[in-house]
Order: sequence, then structure tokens, then C-alpha cells
Amino acid sequence: MKISGTYTLPLPQERAYAVMQDPAVLARAMPGCESLEKIGPDEYRMKMKMVLASLSGAFEGKVRITDQAPPSSFRLVVEGNGRVGFLKGDGLLKLTPAEGGGTVVAYDGDAQVGGTIAAVGQRLIDGTAKTMIKKFFDKLAAEAAS
Amino acid sequence: MASTITKVEKLVGKRIRRREDPRLITGTATYVDDIQMPGMHYAAIVRSPHAAARIRSIDTKAAAETPSVAAIYTGKDTAKVGPVPCGASLPGLRIPHHYILATDRVYFVGHPVAVVVATDKYLARDAAEKIEIDWEVLPAVADPEKAIAAGAPPVHPEWPDNVAFNYHQEGGDVDKAFAEAEVVVKQRITSQRLIPAAMETRGVVAEWRAADRQLNLYTSTQVPHLVRTLVAGMLGLEENRMRVIAPEVGGGFGSKLNIYAEEALMGFVAMQIGKPVKWIESRRENFLTTIQGRGHVDYFELAAKKDGTILGIKLKLIQDLGAYHQLLTPAIPTLSVLMMPGLYRTQNVRADIIGAFTNCVPTDAYRGAGRPEATHGIERMVDILAAELKMDPAEIRIKNFVHREEFPFPTATGLMYDSGNYAAPLDKAMATVDYKKLRAEQAEARKQGKFMGIGICTYGEICGFGPSPATPAGGWESATVKIEPSGKVTVLTGTCSHGQGEETTFAQIAADELGVDIDDILVLRGDTAIVPYGIGTFGSRATAIGGTALYFALQELREKVKKFGAMMLESDDVAFANGRVTCNKTGQSKSFAEIAGATYRAMKLPPNTEPGLQSTHFWEPPNFTFGFGAHIVITDIDKDTGQVKIRRYVAVDDCGNILNPLIVDGQVHGGVAQGLGQALWEQAVYDDNGQLITGEYMDYAMPRAHMMPWVESDHTITPSPVNPLGVKGVGEAGTIGCSPAVVNSVVDALSPLGVRHLDMPLTPEKIWKVMAGGKN
Amino acid sequence: MIPQTFEYTAPKTLDEAVALAGSGAKLLAGGMSLIPMMKLRLAAPEHLVDLGRIKDLNYIREEGGALHIGATATHYSVESSALVRTKCPLLAETASAIGDVQVRNMGTMGGSVAHADPSADYPAALQALEGKVVIRGAKGERTVSAADFFVDSFATTLEPGEIIREIVVPVEEAGTGTSYQKNVQPASGFAIVGVAARIKRSSGKITLARIGVTGLSNVGYRATAAEKALEGTPGSAEDVAKAAGLVSQGADANSDLHASSDYRKHLATVYAARAINAALAATAKT
Repeated sequence: MKISGTYTLPLPQERAYAVMQDPAVLARAMPGCESLEKIGPDEYRMKMKMVLASLSGAFEGKVRITDQAPPSSFRLVVEGNGRVGFLKGDGLLKLTPAEGGGTVVAYDGDAQVGGTIAAVGQRLIDGTAKTMIKKFFDKLAAEAAS
Repeated sequence: MASTITKVEKLVGKRIRRREDPRLITGTATYVDDIQMPGMHYAAIVRSPHAAARIRSIDTKAAAETPSVAAIYTGKDTAKVGPVPCGASLPGLRIPHHYILATDRVYFVGHPVAVVVATDKYLARDAAEKIEIDWEVLPAVADPEKAIAAGAPPVHPEWPDNVAFNYHQEGGDVDKAFAEAEVVVKQRITSQRLIPAAMETRGVVAEWRAADRQLNLYTSTQVPHLVRTLVAGMLGLEENRMRVIAPEVGGGFGSKLNIYAEEALMGFVAMQIGKPVKWIESRRENFLTTIQGRGHVDYFELAAKKDGTILGIKLKLIQDLGAYHQLLTPAIPTLSVLMMPGLYRTQNVRADIIGAFTNCVPTDAYRGAGRPEATHGIERMVDILAAELKMDPAEIRIKNFVHREEFPFPTATGLMYDSGNYAAPLDKAMATVDYKKLRAEQAEARKQGKFMGIGICTYGEICGFGPSPATPAGGWESATVKIEPSGKVTVLTGTCSHGQGEETTFAQIAADELGVDIDDILVLRGDTAIVPYGIGTFGSRATAIGGTALYFALQELREKVKKFGAMMLESDDVAFANGRVTCNKTGQSKSFAEIAGATYRAMKLPPNTEPGLQSTHFWEPPNFTFGFGAHIVITDIDKDTGQVKIRRYVAVDDCGNILNPLIVDGQVHGGVAQGLGQALWEQAVYDDNGQLITGEYMDYAMPRAHMMPWVESDHTITPSPVNPLGVKGVGEAGTIGCSPAVVNSVVDALSPLGVRHLDMPLTPEKIWKVMAGGKN
Repeated sequence: MIPQTFEYTAPKTLDEAVALAGSGAKLLAGGMSLIPMMKLRLAAPEHLVDLGRIKDLNYIREEGGALHIGATATHYSVESSALVRTKCPLLAETASAIGDVQVRNMGTMGGSVAHADPSADYPAALQALEGKVVIRGAKGERTVSAADFFVDSFATTLEPGEIIREIVVPVEEAGTGTSYQKNVQPASGFAIVGVAARIKRSSGKITLARIGVTGLSNVGYRATAAEKALEGTPGSAEDVAKAAGLVSQGADANSDLHASSDYRKHLATVYAARAINAALAATAKT
């Protein structure tokens, strides 16, 4: 499934870029992320718990940041496996200065879901992805403000 | 002693309620899951979440430590069990070795990898979740056309082109037909993958009696004898040491005309642990791992004259096979080729099939099995041709029908149509809807900007599978009739009803032939220890072949009863009617029960006659039978939303003689429901990675009762000369006739927008887009 | 279809249930969404508290000019209640559009509202009715408007340990007409789009228009632009078309295999017009 959209972060572009590369910030901002542990250059092991209504699932996986071109773009790859299935996200994030200050983050990528959640959660994937992305950026913005 | 002979009413042809229904309706029937045994173990199967992956390692330690777990088996334990068999043979067919549990690699989501056996079924499931598998995920391909394109990931590394077979069939002179054509129409037509979704999922109970060297296998199947022969072979067990029982079977639609890995796996487990084991497929597993139907991409070309005469047909058919061949997987599209001329006279046809491997569960027989796809193709093409030539779709059909006096009619695909009067059901359906008036009404509706459609499908169906040379495992059927000493009658049939109502129709036949009360007749099936070898129930064959075998077995017994009666009445001029043998001279008579008793007591025997009253007949049909019919569907399309409303559904089917109109109506209604499902709602959707994303009823739209239109079911009767009952078959007719009629109706409704074709399912959004965009 | 093990408690009083909910138990109020998820092992609550035995949660009554619907009143009881049908027909009509008969006989209004499925039917009606949700927690009771209650997909203002006690909807005044129009997803029975319209007309002018939308986006909402466009007009065909065209304004339409976001938005307009027209027609009858 394609996922794309934009979000305006109330940060200058350089700062926005830096924040998004900071594993500590990422760990706090990613919805459901319980731990993020560095296992290589720009590669992290992640534990996350996804809760969606009555549905809940623990996932273990990896987060990788590649194709860095500071301060304008990078690629974020997330993979998670759990009992209820697996998920994979791969997206390019592009940063450009927003009119009137701040930074517009444009994201464009693919999300894949497999296993039981893929079979029963189809009607929820789009909405859930949107919610999670929004939560991620809201948290990022809040983090940066603090 | 004089006796009164009452004229007993014939039961064949009567609307008799199904004798099997009370137990089904009251929930007291015995299905596989109802079978309980002391020491029962329960199996939970671990399946692949990936469509293509290598298994690096499997860690069963945590699972094995779960309380109640008795055993865990993986692919290395079961590698010596024979492969899941493919019964079809085609020249050059590539057959991947289909292990019952994956060994080093998985090929579709749901592929079984390990089995956990425990005394508690809940804990078995808990333990199954604790099995850790280290996967190396590989690229997958889920679309048959993408699979055979260059650069696609290979499903089986040994065959990188993903082509399982190429099949060519040709009749007549196709090139000449197309060279002489005044008009050629072409269309790509798909028949989407469907989930058979029987109400009862699959299930197996296996019981190994080591001391008796006997394996009892209870399985929800349409073909118990075939399961015995093939699963015994897979397990290396002598066939006579295995008993297969199909208890009540809650629907199959072809999905239980198969040999599944789990059947052999449960046999293996039972023999290993020496205890009975039960596995009941969950609905989720049913979506993922039971065979699916259809999966065609067809490229049709039709050559014709300007007057509408069809000169020839070309078809390139790409069949989505899935990752493996199940029992009949590669054979199904060949049935489409056989049926591709439909009811039309053209003698020039050419078909090329490419069987494509994909990382999906295998396709196989699903209600209609190849014939709905063929009918959908030809019936869409005829409508497209009619539109091209601005002819009426009814007129163009009538023009091309095989004529009534041409039967038996040899087709270009090598079939011999037995009997027919193809215009009769169409005439009847057209009269029922008042076709001319309807077209006038449509013209008026169009002036007001309304989308009203009239769709016709005239279909033919290969029924009565079939003559043995045309079927992989024999096409005959057996029947045994036992008249017990009390005069009660037991019928054993090799067919295996799973909803078709043979307990009623076969009892009707026996009651009429023997002149006994229908309640004195018991029809048994589905137990290899009780019933002589039989082929099973599929392909609209049970009545045409099983019923005929029964008929002949009954004739033998009629003669024997008469012989004994004659001896007892000391007369050589006797008649057997209405349950009595009567001396034509004296009027004295003996009842059926009196005679039955005498045959077993055997105080005296007629010359050259054995005691007892039992007869077995194996009947080999000389030909298929060919049912046919016409369905007319009137639709109205909601301009705002694209939703299709079926205003009227008229089905006129000719299935030869009708044994029980109530059961025939039920078959038509059920068939139409499944056809409508395909036409409007159902679709097994796989994403690019081979994940089934319509994997539950939340997203897979099965038709429900409230979504069904009223089906006006009517008939014409053209008896088949192939069997003495004159029956053809009706199990699949509704499905075959339905989807083209619905799609033709919707395309007809949208034709003012220039629409020529739409692929199924006709979702509202698809239609809305067409209406919004003008053309497709 | 075998769930994981869980503890099951069926308290007899709301206070007991609140105490149990506070300890992290999952509430069961009909189970039409929860049980399937548990059977698929997508949900694995360790402790299930069944609200079904609490007698004083299952009621429908009129009080202080409003209807009070206890959390465990089933959809069928809402649909068939003479009180709801006469005093708040929009809610009865909406309840009758839920799932199928079996679901309506088991599922409860409180359960559905708490679950906050983005495609559920009630959010549209509750938005249009400006309904209220009465919530009981360890610290007492609070009342939240429907507009504030539904936050996002499956997200509400319910805090852990809180339980919906009842839902409050107004008794309709004379001259008010309502309608719920739903495009049904054929597999699940959920709304691809559902629009509830509630319109009051006096002296030939629309004096109040409330339009609730569900299914379109992550959360049910009030289509205020459409409401404003209607109010003060006579409700002519043009007025209705104009308002219906505004119904998805500001909403982020979802997309799934049953309907793209464009089609959803289109359907929202179509069903809004249908709901408004039906509501207008109903005003004439009251």
C-alpha cells in the first residue's frame, strides 16, 4: 500500500533533519516503540507494541536509515515481526523549508503487512497508518518544542 | 388367496422434501468435529506467513515444553511420506514435489511447516505459537501474467519461467475461418480467484489400531475411496488396511474433491503416537489453504460473418495454478477448452493454455470447474459480437445454436453433445420476461438517462463426469442394493453426497423400482468399509452415473424377486408391481417382505439361483451428458453509486428428466447464489507479495440471503439418451448460467456509454468509474 | 479459531466492574468486535470483564426531556424500542442498519460506542443528535459530548478504568425530521459511508441542520459546512445539492480495497443528499 503525505514541523530544516536522525527522539516519537537499540551504523533493533482498539501485538524488528542527504532527504526502513504477522515500511522523506518558517516533511513510501493482520485488518490499514504517522510527527514536534 | 393390488404412486418426479434435512436443521448430524474418541489428541498446524521464504531453522523447544504437548513434527520427520498427489496428466507437465510439510522452503502463505499434537486443543494452539522459525524471505509473485513475464521471481527455482505446462488443442480450420471472417472481435476476459468457503471447513480424525494394523480416517471429503487409495499410498500402508469415512459433509463445491496434505499428516501422526488425533481447519486456514477456484486470464477472439454467423474461436488462456498441483489443478482449464464453443455450431476452435505457477494456494475444481470460465468467455464474446454487429443478443444466439435435429452433435473440441433443444429454454425465458416489451421499456428508460440492462446467457454444461477415458481415476460409479430379510432396503452408493440430496432422490428411484415405501429405504454412502469402491460426488455426476448404477442394480433384484415370487406362487406367469409379485392367472400374490424372507431362509431355491437379495452394479457411462439452459437477468444501475440492482432473475434450465423438482430448484438457487457471488462481490485478492488480503468474511463478500434476488426457476425437459433415467445433471448449472447473464446485463445497461466489457466482480466503484469516465 | 487463555469475570454491579476495569481488565459488552479478534489471536486480553450481567446498565428510559440508553442495551432493543422509535427515530433507524440480526441481538450500544470503529453506524447519529456519553470511573461520573468523545480511529476520551454508563440523546421536537442513509460494505456490513441528517423546519425555513458522517475518515464527525449551507434556506433541491457537496469538506477520506477515498467522498455527497431529502420529507410528517 502506498503511503504519502506531508507534515509541517515547527523547526528549521537543519534542526528538523537532525531530530529525525536521533534514535532517542525516534524511540520516543514512534507510536508503540518500547525500545530502540543501535546494532550498526544507522541500524537499530526495535521492540514495539501496537495497540489498535482491542487488537494488540508485540513486534520485534529493525529500523534503518539510508540514503542520507542532509538536510533535505533520507530513507527510513522499518521492519517488524510478531505473532500476529509482520509489517514493513519503506519511505523517502523529503524536507523543504515551509513558507513562514518551519519545515515541510513530505513522505512517500510503501507499507506492507503480512500474516493474520493482513487478512483481517485491510479496511483499517489506511486509517491506522495515517493515525500513526500523525502521532509520530506530533510527538516529534512536541519533542522539538521542549 | 386373493389380494387387493393398490396402485402405488410413482415417486420419481415428485416434489419430495429432503429426508436428510431434519438432522441438518436440528443440528444433530454428525460431522468430523462431532467425532469423539477416548484418548483423542488435537493437532495445530504451524503455517508460513510468507508467500516465499527459505526456512533457515525451526526451534520447537519452547513449544515442546508446553503442558499437554505429546509430539511435534516438522518437514524432516514427514519427508518420507509420499507427496500430495496430482491426478492430472498433461504432456510435459512439471510437477513439483509436494511434501506434506514444507522441508526447506515455503511457496505460499499458509504452507504447512510443522504440526503440534497435544491432548488439549487450546494448549496445542498455544504451543504452535511458540515455534520459532527463522525465515529468509524471498521475492514472491501472485499474478499469473506477471509470473510468466520475464524477470519474475521463480516460484520453483528449478523452473524459472514459472510455466507448468503449455497445452494446445485445435479443431477444424481456424486460420481459414479467421481469414474468411468479415468481422473479428477480441477481448481480454478474467475469471477471478474465488474462495469455495464450504460451510463446514475441512477436518480429519485419524485413528490407528496398531494391533489390527488398521487406520481409520474420518475426513470431510467428496471422494472417500480416492482418499483411501491415495493416502494409503502416501503413508505406505496397504489399501485394505485403511478405512475412510466421510461422515456428514457440510458442503464442498469441489474443494473437497481433493487429497490434502493434512489427511496424510493426520494418518502419519496417528500411526506415530498410537492415539487418535483430530484436526479441524479453522476458517482462517480454510481461506488460506483449501484450494481456490477460477483464476483465469483469457484472451478471446471470435471470427464471424456480418450476418452474425460465428466462424471460429481462438483462446489464449493463462491459468493461475498456484504453487502446487493439487489433485486436478492442471486439468481444470482443459475443461474450459472442451466447453469453449458453448451451444454454437462453429467447428473451428483453437486454444492455448499456459499453466502459470504463482506463490498462492493452488486452484482446483470449484462449482463448475472450468465450465463457468468457458461459458463466461463465449457468452461475453457473443454479446460483444452482437454489439459490434448491432444485432440483438437473443437473435445472434439462435442463429448459431446447434439445431435440434443435429444431435448427437460432434463439437470441434471432440465432445459429442448427447441431446438438446437449445432454443427451447431461451424461448421460454424470453416469453417469461416478455422480451420484446422489455426492450421497448429499456429504450424508453434510456431516453430518461436510466441504466437498465437485459442480459442473456445460454449455456451448455458437461455433466455426468464421466466416461472413464476422460477422467483421471475412472468415471464409472457403483451401487449396491441389499434387500434385508425383513424387506427393508439398504442402498449403498459410491457417490458421496455433501448436500446434493441423494438420500432422497436415490430412495425415490429405489422405491419406484421395488414398489416399497420410501421410508423402508436407507441410503448409505461415504464409508469405504461398507460401500463398494466408488468414485464420488462432483461434476454433476451423482444422479446421471450413480443413479444409473443404482437403477441397474435394482433391475437385477427385480428379476430375482420375480423369480422367487414365481417359485413361491408356483406359476410362470407373474408380474412384479407395487411391491408384490402376483400370479396373472390366479391373482394370488406374495409381498415383497415375504419374498425377501424366503430368499434368505432358502428352504427352496429357483433353479440356478443363489440365496439372498443383494446386487452390485458398476456402471460405465458411454458419454457425458450435456445440460443446457438460458438465464435472463434484468438489472437497474444506480446512477449515483454504480450499485447493481437485480430486478428480475429468470433461469430456465434443461437437466433432462427431473427426479425431484424441489431438489433441482435448490441446486439452481444455490448455483445462482454462487454465480452472483462471482459476478458481483467475491474476489480472492492477493497483494504483490502473495498475502491474501481478503482472508476473512470481513473483506471477502460472500452472498447472504438478503442479497439474493428472487430466482424464477423453470425448466424444459430434453431427456438424455446416455442413461436409462434420461437425466443430465444440475449441480453446477446455476453457477454456469449466472455470471455471464449478470455481466451481460450490466454491460448492456452501460452500453450507451460505449462499454463493451467489464471484468468481475462488478463492484459499484468499478461501475461508477465507468459512468464517470464515459468509457472503460 | 482458538483464543488464548483468559480470566473471565461477570460482575453484577457497575461499581465492581469499575474496580475490575481499573486493574487493567478488558471490558466485554456484547463481544461482536472483541470475540472475533480474540479467536484470531489478534487480541489476547488476560482478563475479560463481562458487563452483560449488570442489570442496571441495560435500560432505555425518558428522563428530563432526553432519552437515556444504558450501555448494554442491545442494538435490537434500541431499534425496536417504542420509546426510541417515537422520540428519537434517528437512533432507532441507525441501530436497525447495524450488521445483521445476530449482531444486533448480541451487540450493545455502549460496546459499539466505546469501540469507536471508524465505520460503525452510531457515530453519525450521535454527532447529528449532539448526543452525550456518560462515563463512570473510579473518581465518579463525567459527561462528554459525542463531538468530544470520538477522537480517532478506535480512540475515544475514555481513560483506562472508565466505563460508559449510558448514552443520552434528545427527545425530538415537533417539526424535526431525521434520516440515516448508509452505503453498506457487502462483506462486513459496516458503513463505507453513512450519513445521518437531522433537520428542523419552521415556516418553510430550515432552522436547524445537523449532519453526522461515519465511515469516510478515521472518525465520525459533524459536517458543519453542510449544516451552515442548509440553515436558513427553504431546503430546495439546489440547497440540498449544495450542502451535500460540502459534506466531506475538511475530512481526510480513507481508502481501502472496498472503496477509494475519491469514491468514498462521492458517496458521502450522494448519501448526504439522500439523508437530507429523507429528513426534509419527514419534517412534513411531524
